[in-house]
Amino acid sequence: MSITYRTGLSALAVFALAAPAMAGNTLIPPGLRVAVAKSAMTVVPSIEWNKLGARPGRNSESWTQDGDDLNDLTFYGGIEAGRPLFREVDKKNQPLPKVSATMLITDIPVLLENSYRVALGAASFKVDLVEPLPFAGNKGVRFTYSFSKQNETLQRRGEARGAVIAGKLYLITYEAPGLYYYDRSAAAFRAVAESVRL
Amino acid sequence: MRTHVAALLLGATVFASGAAGMATGAGDTGRLALPTYSQAYTPTTVDERGVWMEADEDERRLRESPSVIRDPALNAYVRGVLCRTVGDDRCRSVRIYIERVPAFNASMAPNGTMIVWSGLLLRVRNEAELGAILGHEFGHFELRHSVLGFRNRRSGTDLMAWASILIRNSGDIQYAAIGQIYAFDRAQEREADMIGFRYLARSCYPGSAAADVWDHIMGESDATALGRRGRAQHKYVAGFFASHPTELARATYLRAASLGIAEAKSVVVDTHQAAMAAWLPIFLNDQIKLNDFGGSEYILANLAAGSGWTTPLLYARGELYRERGNPRDLVSAAQFYQEAIGRGDAPVEAYRGLGLALLRNQQAAEGQAALATYLRLKPAAPDAALIATLVSQ
Ligand SMILES: [Zn+2]
Repeated sequence: MSITYRTGLSALAVFALAAPAMAGNTLIPPGLRVAVAKSAMTVVPSIEWNKLGARPGRNSESWTQDGDDLNDLTFYGGIEAGRPLFREVDKKNQPLPKVSATMLITDIPVLLENSYRVALGAASFKVDLVEPLPFAGNKGVRFTYSFSKQNETLQRRGEARGAVIAGKLYLITYEAPGLYYYDRSAAAFRAVAESVRL
Repeated sequence: MRTHVAALLLGATVFASGAAGMATGAGDTGRLALPTYSQAYTPTTVDERGVWMEADEDERRLRESPSVIRDPALNAYVRGVLCRTVGDDRCRSVRIYIERVPAFNASMAPNGTMIVWSGLLLRVRNEAELGAILGHEFGHFELRHSVLGFRNRRSGTDLMAWASILIRNSGDIQYAAIGQIYAFDRAQEREADMIGFRYLARSCYPGSAAADVWDHIMGESDATALGRRGRAQHKYVAGFFASHPTELARATYLRAASLGIAEAKSVVVDTHQAAMAAWLPIFLNDQIKLNDFGGSEYILANLAAGSGWTTPLLYARGELYRERGNPRDLVSAAQFYQEAIGRGDAPVEAYRGLGLALLRNQQAAEGQAALATYLRLKPAAPDAALIATLVSQ
């Protein structure tokens, strides 16, 4: 998840999460189990990743290979009921949908879709495939999606896995431009996602 | 505030006195007279030529944009309404692009490119209301506002920039394929409103439709505020009017104008609902995903006031309530899905929605039964495997 934050009415953009060279990034070495998103969620990466210094929200963090605009792996580590998936973009005028403790697994793709439609102006967000897949030993969902950001013709693809556990949302997303970049790091994402434990 | 009221009244008075001078049917034609229309205007100054080149470039991008809806039937419908509003001669100089953007807006560039957002099509209830907005946009074009005022552009989008309701969805500007839509000042807006009104008054459509649209936009804005903050804003009365004499002023002078003419038009067969049938569920779905419960509910009720609670409206209402998901919402959602199903032409997904609403409302057995029906009717549904895990738990 990377958002170009807007200020007020204008389309003036402030880049909250920019290139990987940004200060505060750290290298995540392969082969070691690490805790992510300030949560109990842990994973083992198969290759080295860059952890971005800026977080999309309180209980989340993003990793990348080539820059978060080119491949973005984001962990949401137990988002509580009543909270949005990520930081509000324009809370007063365009509030994000909130996590609900009674969410079903079918509501997880919907929450991501609606959050993106509001925050990114992703008019053409489409969930492509949805299937059940255990998440850290819990009943979970895997889904793929495609979207393009505002004023962008670039098609992005995404894959996500998540679950609602004890009323909190756990989710891992991977996004990249459909052409070239998506396939390039998809296997590395899946290795991370399959290693998830709580 | 006084200044604005005075300006508003003056505007209404000028129009009314014009009307008073010509009370006969023949006079109607006179007072609603339009400027002589010159086809194929070409830019003359360097500045104008620059604006046109940019508009041409924008249009080239628009043509390639994935957000443009190319359905020939929908495009033919919108063009038909424009032509019936402004007349065939004027209509010929316009190329219409319908963009799938879930907000209320339309705009027009000086080279004849008209952009209509799907959120506008969703909000109007008949041909006349659509014609009112298209006529307004054409008015800017005919009066060459964007050319004259081009130095002020790039700061908003036409209806949206002026209509405060849309400030709430200003991020939607970002949806549009082209960023710079022309912004006009208030005097130009009024001119476009009034020439738009004259098109409408001379057309087969009732002139009151223009004020109707703005009434509903105000209602939606209040409903959005109520839904988000739990209290009505009442911003269209008293204080708000002082700094934002926008929709209220607009609705007021357009209403006064429509009362000032004696209309004896035969009722035209309205094709709006038929033309929108295939797209209504899609546009409703786009709206419901914006996390604007109050505004979405208002739009649904407003459409239902025109057409009754049809199956697509009931289904969308079920989705809206289910997604908000408060316990009472889940009860309501289940009712709406059941009503839709009871009408006999509901999409199979109504059983899915019903089942999920019941399940979330801890009515496990009924919920699973509805989901089982969904799977039986649509075994190859893209989410069949996931839904099956909810049935068997
Ligand atoms: Zn205008």
